[in-house]
Amino acid sequence: MRASEQQLRLWMIGGLEGDANAHAALLRALVPLLQSFYRRRMSGRPDDIEDLVQETLMAVHVRRATYDRDRPFTGWLFAVARYKMIDHFRRSRIHCTVEDVADILVTEGFEDAVSARMDVDRLLADLPPKQADAIRGTHVEGNSIADHARRMGIGESDVKISVHRGLKALAARIKGPN
Amino acid sequence: MDTEKLIARLAADVRPVPRHSVARWIALGLGLGAVGSIAIVLIAFGMRQDWSVALVSYHFWVKWLYTLSLGLGAILLTARLARPDPGRLRHLWLLGVPVMVLATIGIVEMSRTAPGDWLAMWLGGSWRDCPRNVLLLSMPMFVGLLWAYRHFAPTSLRAAGAAAGLASGAFGAAVYCIHCPEVSAIFVLTWYTLGIALASALGALIGPRLMRW
Repeated sequence: MRASEQQLRLWMIGGLEGDANAHAALLRALVPLLQSFYRRRMSGRPDDIEDLVQETLMAVHVRRATYDRDRPFTGWLFAVARYKMIDHFRRSRIHCTVEDVADILVTEGFEDAVSARMDVDRLLADLPPKQADAIRGTHVEGNSIADHARRMGIGESDVKISVHRGLKALAARIKGPN
Repeated sequence: MDTEKLIARLAADVRPVPRHSVARWIALGLGLGAVGSIAIVLIAFGMRQDWSVALVSYHFWVKWLYTLSLGLGAILLTARLARPDPGRLRHLWLLGVPVMVLATIGIVEMSRTAPGDWLAMWLGGSWRDCPRNVLLLSMPMFVGLLWAYRHFAPTSLRAAGAAAGLASGAFGAAVYCIHCPEVSAIFVLTWYTLGIALASALGALIGPRLMRW
């Protein structure tokens, strides 16, 4: 059974007030949560996922003062987890493939619809409009290639090429310096 | 390492965290930096000589209000970006308000001055030094904010760097008012703002390197 936002928040606040048991309970409850967060976003590589989970637990511990007790805990947690994942991609450049970006874009849409949408929009804003539309239509909104091609009045292979080029450009950006 | 052992180790070190600790660190970093900036302006530049005139003239207060209000807005932004989930920055446009107000004052001042004097009014006696001095005086506070950020969890590092640079630039400009005898609003609008913008650009440039965690 997954712990609820309410329960996690209470443990977090307990830990902030110095309750070691609440803090340990929180970290233990986060392990499965973070495992599935990373598993959904990174294909394979169980060692990487375990490393990332541990790194994120440490970050949650060391940076817990930045949690605002009046705001949702999971929003804070997933922001930390997402940062650690991007940092991981940045450090091990070779691992970020086109498929990783597609995975990230798709799963972000489920995780935290509002903030993910903002991240995705920010990323897509730098692409040519045609590629951005193609990615938004297929990967974010979830339409089929054929549907999107019909809606835009262009060929299916045209959509496929736009999606591929767009994702490649995004992968290059995430891999690049900074 | 085994995750369960890691959790046990982390849970052995649970010190209470005071509320508003982000604000405390920022205040401490900024405060210590401000002491450094004020020391530099007093030792390297010296106080302006005409305090009795300055304190009753509106020019002096316009400069302070401009720089301090900009600094206050920027420091609130800096505190928001210290968190991993800063949320939507809906009030960002408020940072433009001091600039617009100062621009309005500048236009009014120019309308009351003969066009032949506009250039002298704009360049004053120190336009070459002003942006550089503002940038210099912002540095202690910028370092203080970077130190505070060592404790934080920013996720938009470039934006956080720019905000910290903007805050230290604006407060650096406020400190520079202790020395600078320039009076016209368009001087401040151009050269002070240029110094502040340089500090912010520097922050955006090095933030991603120095704020990683």
